[in-house]
Amino acid sequence: MAMEKEAIYNMMADEIAERFNVKRDTITPDLNFLTDIDADSIDFVELVLEVEDMFNVEISDDDAENLVTLQQTVDYIVEHQN
Amino acid sequence: MKIAIDAMGGDYAPMEIVKGVEIARDRYPDIEFLLFGTSEQVKPLVKDWSHITLIPTTEVIEMGDEPVKAMRRKKDSSMVRAANAVKAGDADALFSAGNTGALLSSAIFLIGRIKGVDRPALATALPSFAGENDQFVFMDLGANAESKASHLYQYGILGSFYASHVLGINDARVRLLNNGAEEDKGDEVHKIAHQLMKNSQSFNFLGNVEARELLEGTADVVVADGFSGNAALKATEGTALMMLKQIKQAIMQTGLRGKMGGLLLKPAFKDIQKKLDYNEAGGAVILGVNAPVVKTHGSAKANAVANTMGQIKKMIEKNLVPDIRTYIADHKDELQAAKNELQSQISE
Repeated sequence: MAMEKEAIYNMMADEIAERFNVKRDTITPDLNFLTDIDADSIDFVELVLEVEDMFNVEISDDDAENLVTLQQTVDYIVEHQN
Repeated sequence: MKIAIDAMGGDYAPMEIVKGVEIARDRYPDIEFLLFGTSEQVKPLVKDWSHITLIPTTEVIEMGDEPVKAMRRKKDSSMVRAANAVKAGDADALFSAGNTGALLSSAIFLIGRIKGVDRPALATALPSFAGENDQFVFMDLGANAESKASHLYQYGILGSFYASHVLGINDARVRLLNNGAEEDKGDEVHKIAHQLMKNSQSFNFLGNVEARELLEGTADVVVADGFSGNAALKATEGTALMMLKQIKQAIMQTGLRGKMGGLLLKPAFKDIQKKLDYNEAGGAVILGVNAPVVKTHGSAKANAVANTMGQIKKMIEKNLVPDIRTYIADHKDELQAAKNELQSQISE
């Protein structure tokens, strides 16, 4: 069953807060994965895999490269949910 | 104790993998083996099913496959299914003789890094030909093409745990592979790593070691960045093999006296050859992930596979991974301080 956008956003924000040790209330839709969190290349692949599992979506490597902000990721999940 | 086996990885898979597993099964009655592989190929090879279960899979990660893509796309491959079994707690360790990059990816992204370990690394035990111990741990052998100083620092910890738990070497002497003995040798990464390691309470750091001294037993753990470690290992291997070949050739090409001398020396040479053939004794370990993951040489045959099971058994029995996990959790402030120190050194 498709999830609501707001629910997806909240789940993603919770995941980012926990995974990257970021205060939940500082997370906004504009959060930029490249500049606003302390993550390396392994962290990014792990995040993509986690998002795929959480929302039952498949994210190609090309698409993953373009998901730079939280909002972009949420929009992608909404569009590609199975 | 359960070991998940990628039965399809390796040049002689599945035949030599299954043969090796059956030898290990007879040798170690307390291990259960979960064989992941293509049913039609694996089933006919198993002579005796006691302590062996086959979990059929439909895909195989080939040697030439791009590692992360293969791990992500071939979800029903023998390697990925075996890694997921470890992730789910259905097995205690993972074995493969297959695609090293894919195994690394499976270890890092499926089994997962121990919390606090930035970069898992490939480690192996090499022979020492002098000094107080027979072997030393050498890492990183190529898991990471580039390393930060803090990664090298962490390898000192991971290597020391492997030395104590698996090789029985306590208070391991740790050295940093570098291009000179002095503290200020090497590139920035190595200069900073040297300082981090020198100030560490986590392990017994003795300073640098040069590649030519690797086999001399002056260290129990040699820490290297992945590129240098891989190059030094292959240079050492290649030189040793070439020397033995040259000696053999020289003996065969001399007259009767030489050949008789060769015959008399044969047992001594066999001993040296056995000591140099570390691939027969076990595999390379991916240290820093949440379970023992061991990669044996791609061309491994049954004996090497069986010996690797013994190596894995020891890692499990001696609680290698839980002890590393506990140590890193208990010392996270010190590890963070090392990273902060690194940051301040870089910004100077």
